[in-house]
Amino acid sequence: MKHEEWKKISRIMSKRSLWMVHFCTGCGAMEMPPVMTSRYDMERFGIFAMATPRQADVFLVTGYLAVKTLKRVVQVYEQMRDPKYVIGFGSCTINGGMYWDSYNTIKDLSKYIPVDVYIAGCMPRPEAIIDSFLKLMDMIDKGEAIGWQKYRKYYDQYKRNQKMAFEYRLDEVKPIKEDDKNES
Amino acid sequence: MKAKELFPDAQELRKGRVRIELDKEQITDALKKLKENGYTHFVMLSCVDWIKEGKFELVYHMWSYEYKEHVMLSVKINRDGEDVVSNRELFPQIETYEREIHEMFGVNFVGNPRLGEFILEGWPHMPPMRKDFDTEKFVKDLYYKIPEVNEE
Repeated sequence: MKHEEWKKISRIMSKRSLWMVHFCTGCGAMEMPPVMTSRYDMERFGIFAMATPRQADVFLVTGYLAVKTLKRVVQVYEQMRDPKYVIGFGSCTINGGMYWDSYNTIKDLSKYIPVDVYIAGCMPRPEAIIDSFLKLMDMIDKGEAIGWQKYRKYYDQYKRNQKMAFEYRLDEVKPIKEDDKNES
Repeated sequence: MKAKELFPDAQELRKGRVRIELDKEQITDALKKLKENGYTHFVMLSCVDWIKEGKFELVYHMWSYEYKEHVMLSVKINRDGEDVVSNRELFPQIETYEREIHEMFGVNFVGNPRLGEFILEGWPHMPPMRKDFDTEKFVKDLYYKIPEVNEE
């Protein structure tokens, strides 16, 4: 068999066995118990929580992130092994949500780590969470969930953004292309 | 003895709520006096920024299980770096409140050895709970200006 075909088979296998890191931030953690237990039962899709990041595939960022929490999130994300997927959970990870003017929460998660699927809502219903998992499975099957490859490819840009947030200053900003500056 | 008898100029806001305004030199003695007279529970220490007056108001909240009475000791200090004496020998939990107020408002408590980084990590700017700290401008200048990851 060709290499591509093996890849396809491994994608079919891995989409049916997603292990989720047990790392909960913000209020989204409260939505997880009904999804995990008998009422909605996400285990029937092959998803369950795993206590260590090194053995997990999916990272749910469940809510707002203070800069202090972002440091821990980046550490956990970097400990996970490839392939790894991130689900941004609730409006706080999209644009800050109700913390849009808070001095110590980040506003857009995808500036710091790559996000494959976002769920809108404050908070999202358990149906929406399961729907996002199905969407993620579909993306894995088609080979579209490539956030972990983006993190490798644009590592310097992600690290630069993380450093700006961790140090609360933009000092390191340099125009990425000199041409852009000249045009304006 | 109730707070009203200990401090004649105490104002009773309503039943079970007493407010006492003090100078900052009197605060340690007042806390000691209350502690010896039944007000054994130190509830919390809070700080208010009165920017138009140029003052910080420190409020020491005390509670008595005996009289069911909440006493607020209010001390006003200048905003521009006036020192306050730490009262951590009287009630050890004051130390944590002092650390927080030092970090969020920049008030210096003399005699507290643990003032320093507490909740915020590596914060290089002005203490963020002061009213002259423009939160919205800070957010717009920092988080909204962090560039998107540029995919080429």
